[in-house]
Amino acid sequence: MTRRALLGLRSPLLAIAGVLAALIAWQLWAERSDPFYVPTTTEIFGAAWSLWRDPDFLSDAAESLERLAAGFLIGSAIGIGVGLLMGSSSRVRRALEPLVDLLRSTPPIAIAPALLIIAGFGNGMRVPLIAFGVCFPVLLNTVDGVRAVSSEVRDTASMLHIGRLDRTVRIYFPAALPSIVTGLRIAISVALVLVVVAEFVGEGGGLGGYLEVAAARSEFPEVYACILFLGLIGYVLNRFFVLVERHLLAWHYGAVGEQPA
Amino acid sequence: MNSQPEESPVLRVERLGKRYATDGTFALEDVTFDVREGELLAVVGPSGCGKTTLLRILCGLTKPTAGAVLLDGRPIVGPPREVSLVFQDYSRSLFPWLTVLRNVMFPLRGSGLSKEGKIAQAEAVLREMGLNDVGTKYPWQLSGGMQQRVAIARALVSHPEVLVLDEPFASVDALTRAELQDVLLRVHSTREGRAATVVHVTHDIDEAVYLADRVLVLSPPPGRVVDTIGVGLPRPREQTSTRSSAEFLTVRNEIHTLIASENALRSSLSADR
Repeated sequence: MTRRALLGLRSPLLAIAGVLAALIAWQLWAERSDPFYVPTTTEIFGAAWSLWRDPDFLSDAAESLERLAAGFLIGSAIGIGVGLLMGSSSRVRRALEPLVDLLRSTPPIAIAPALLIIAGFGNGMRVPLIAFGVCFPVLLNTVDGVRAVSSEVRDTASMLHIGRLDRTVRIYFPAALPSIVTGLRIAISVALVLVVVAEFVGEGGGLGGYLEVAAARSEFPEVYACILFLGLIGYVLNRFFVLVERHLLAWHYGAVGEQPA
Repeated sequence: MNSQPEESPVLRVERLGKRYATDGTFALEDVTFDVREGELLAVVGPSGCGKTTLLRILCGLTKPTAGAVLLDGRPIVGPPREVSLVFQDYSRSLFPWLTVLRNVMFPLRGSGLSKEGKIAQAEAVLREMGLNDVGTKYPWQLSGGMQQRVAIARALVSHPEVLVLDEPFASVDALTRAELQDVLLRVHSTREGRAATVVHVTHDIDEAVYLADRVLVLSPPPGRVVDTIGVGLPRPREQTSTRSSAEFLTVRNEIHTLIASENALRSSLSADR
């Protein structure tokens, strides 16, 4: 596998042409608009370059990434754990399904005010909010993955007298792993959205807080530069997941004869 | 080899019935037969005759609604450790995340053997199945026939008394099927006593006659025992000479006729209604 394929750039010339076209379109639009609200591409890249060298901005970025990681890890641990329980026991599933259906239909951001009251501003509210949003896609995919385990595999486990815990850890978890990883990939995008939104309110803002302050101060080149960074973070996280998937699930893609996108 | 008298069967199936709770129809009705020590019994019948239900009851995976199955004289209530099952679809029963060796070692979990002991036992049974040097591969890297050999190896690794196979060769091509039939015959002939007891469920009458000591014929649903046909063909059997012998043809024709007349009887009954 070439590095180019790893980056998802199978046709770099066309990809570069696409990016260039977008930049030109932006530039044309900027030249015809109020320069205060729509900065030119050079202004945006200039702002991005100075932000990149600004230790305050980098510590904001580190703060956001820490929250993202904490919320993602807590949320996916709960999602996988509860998902395995619900997938392997029809009793647990029947007990929790209505509750899960209700909660997952709730927009995560709607619980933010309640979390603010309980936990106050700052990480006390933000990490649980991200974990809440991350939990459900992971949970649902875990349940699906476990339920899709073939009856042959279940019967084999029964014939071999494998205990419930062992069965869950040694059979259901690996069998559901391809589905779980799909859930994690959806969850990472959700987490990125939620970390930015959660940082719009309260102090100690991270990248979301920076964005909010910059917009309030009408520092539009910085606003767009920050959006660019957030996009890059999302892109890198996604590619990172593809790499993990290829490594961890080589057996699965070998068995089904495909590669992760 | 064991203290029980020769006549006592390994498996005794007594007046077995299975009625589905969902619609009240019978999958099996009054099924009675024995499986003797070291015997290879084939079960044939039209589709939907309850072959799979019967097999699941033998393995303790499904509870009968009437009658009982006795293994060495004791009724089966849950999956017995002495019985191993091979499924039709190897791709759905082997664990794709484990290598071949680890798949075969899996049933030895909790056996008290050391890791080296488990590896040695798994490698021995893989060799017995004619699978050398594939231990580090994943099941999906092997051909269908090889995968089914791995599945049989996994079923044999814990030294079961009874090997139960559910249409094990239905998912492979004809050449591989013949090859696997001979693998099963070799396994059956090299094992001794109770360990050589095999129940083989199939819809292929020729396969049943080629492999079995006796063929149990089930009726169209609800499954009942139509007859048990003894196959007197000499062993070792061989694909071309055995299958072209007059005896083979006589037995297979007898079974075909039995099933055809059962079917005719059944359709005339339903026409009368």
